[in-house]
Parts: sequence; C-alpha cells; structure tokens
Amino acid sequence: MIDDIDKLAAEENPALVLAHMIEENENRIPAERTGFLPIQTNWFDRVFISVVLWVALSLFWFRFLEPLGLSIWICLAISLVAAVFIIRKG
Amino acid sequence: MHSKRLGWLLLAPTMIILFFFGVVPFFYVIWVSFHQWNPFAANPGKIFNWAANYRQVVFDAQLLASLGVTFAFVFFAVVSELVLGYLLAQAFMKDFPGKAFFRTIHTLPLIMAPIIVGSIWKLMTTPSIGIIPNLLQSWFGYNLNIGQSALAAFTVTVVMDVWHWTPLVTLSLIAALVSLPPDPFEQAQIDGAGKRQIFWHITLPMIAPAVVATVFIRLMDALRTVDEVLMLTGGGPGSATRYIGVHIFKEVFPRTNYGYGSAISVVVLYLTIVICWLLYVGLIAPRNTKKG
Repeated sequence: MIDDIDKLAAEENPALVLAHMIEENENRIPAERTGFLPIQTNWFDRVFISVVLWVALSLFWFRFLEPLGLSIWICLAISLVAAVFIIRKG
Repeated sequence: MHSKRLGWLLLAPTMIILFFFGVVPFFYVIWVSFHQWNPFAANPGKIFNWAANYRQVVFDAQLLASLGVTFAFVFFAVVSELVLGYLLAQAFMKDFPGKAFFRTIHTLPLIMAPIIVGSIWKLMTTPSIGIIPNLLQSWFGYNLNIGQSALAAFTVTVVMDVWHWTPLVTLSLIAALVSLPPDPFEQAQIDGAGKRQIFWHITLPMIAPAVVATVFIRLMDALRTVDEVLMLTGGGPGSATRYIGVHIFKEVFPRTNYGYGSAISVVVLYLTIVICWLLYVGLIAPRNTKKG
C-alpha cells in the first residue's frame, strides 16, 4: 500500500493520495462487537454511550435527587462504574 | 514517507480551520458554562461556580417551556418539509413544460438570509398591511393576528420554516431518486406491485440514507433557529414562539448572562446529538450491520 501511495505521490496526483489515505484509515476502524447492548459497537461508541448516560444521569440528579440531600459525587461514582461496565461488556 | 507528508499537508488547511472554528469554540463554551460571567457587571471577570449553571438549567421553568415548544416546532416543521419535499422531488422527476423554470423558482428561498425571510413574513402577516391576513379575512372571514394568538404565531413560524427549507429537502431527495437503478422498479411492475407497495418496499428503503441525512440537517437547523423567529414574532406572544435559540439569545445578549447561556447551549447541543444518534441507531445502523 505504501509503495502504491509513493508511486501516486511521485506522479503528483494529490486526489489519489488522499483517496488511498482514506482507504487505509477505513481499515483502521476499531473492531465492532455485540455485547449486552442491542447494537454492534466499537470502543468509541461505548465511550460515547457512557458519556451520554453520565450527562443524562447528572441532569436527572440535579433536578430530583440532589434536593433530597444526595451529593452529585454519588452520581459521578455510579456513572463511572456504569461506564467501565459498558466499555468492557457492552 | 514523502507521500504521507503530502497527504497530511493536503489535509492540514481543513484540519486547522476545523480546530480553530470548531474544536476550540466547543471547549471554550463548555469551560464558560462552568463560570458565572457577566462582562458588564460590577465584577466583569469569570467566577468558577462548578455546575451551578446546570443546576439552574434543570429548574428553569421558562427554559423547559422553551424546549417543549421547540420540539413541537421541530416535529411539525421537519415532518412537513419531508412530505412536501418528497412530493416535489417526485414531481420534478417527471417531464412537464417549464420544469427548469419552476425548479429554479422553487429553490429561491434557499438563497435568502434568514433575517430577510423573517422580515418578508413579518410584512406579509402584519394585520392591516399584510397580504396573508387580508386574504384570510376576505376568503374565510378568519382574523389572523400573530401578535395576539399564540397558535397563529406558532403556525406561521412553522409555515415560514417550511417555505424556507423545503427546497433543500427537495434537492436532496431529487439527487437520491435520480441515482436509483431502474431494474428493481421494472421487476416490481412486472410482478404486479402497486404504486404504494413500490414506495414502501423499494423506493423508501433505497433512499432511506438520503432521507435520514436530510432529516439530520433539518433537525439540527430547526433546533437552533433564531433569526427568522426573532424577526417575525420576537418570541411572542408571551412565550408561544420563544424557541430555545431565541431563549438563549435573550439570555446571552440583552441580559449578558454568558455563563448560563453557555450552559443552556451545551444542554441543547447534548439533546441534538442524542436525538441524531438515536435516529442513526434506529434507522441506519441496522442496515449497515445487515450488509456487513
């Protein structure tokens, strides 16, 4: 592949160099798998889902649980545990 | 290795622009959202206040009401644009006299700045001088007054958005329809499929990625609509059309409450990303998985 790109670069064809770089990059997309989540995910998807859950849980906590005296740090701890679980088993 | 350097060199301008105009402002807004910052107050500096702005967000009744009307606006506007856009795209797929002329005319709203669109619609809907209230009065005896009726103001903002953005949907769907291969349609006709069956089982599944991409674009745009509505109704009457973009504008500019405005912006960005991601997971990801 590198030889091909070098050859294209030698021919001074920038569009083809970029196309080959994109193709190379596509091969580097992390492997997807199916865990307990209902969709196939790679590690980035699972980190994204964890962050989405963390933000949703934090807003919920601010609105309903913090006025009852439960600290936001508890929410953060729960979110971290959930994130580790989702990233490893999701 | 020379080629790799050339590749990165070609990508560099885009990446630099994206970094300074996309990544840096994004993290700056997040940083500001954790501060109390009113540059025109007695103390104009930023005061770090942890998540106090986010605590305020979840208890702000005006904001929650704004979110409600924004979602209603987005739903009615995007669904109407999609249906009308598809019908227009199908119409433009057929040959008729003056087709090129009508296609050009129908894309004209797209090139107008939103503030101009707001001004035009304000002129057209102002009671006593506007053409729309006059026609509605003389034809149906209906008195349209967007300064008094909340429902009328909401409806007019939806219609204005549909008028402005349907051409974008039409152009996207024309591109998708033109690229469809004729074979499946011919086979379906030979097998005796009706128009409705062809639409649900062939056309729609094949143009679904284009439809979802268009919905994403319109959804994101509609969620942050400000200038048109601000020009037309100013968010009123009361708070009937105080959509979330208008709410943020009024919070940030007249009240110069930058920290709280940033927190609302981050929450709206979060909601936009989550809605688009759910749409993607629900509609596009299963198709890719099947193909893969």
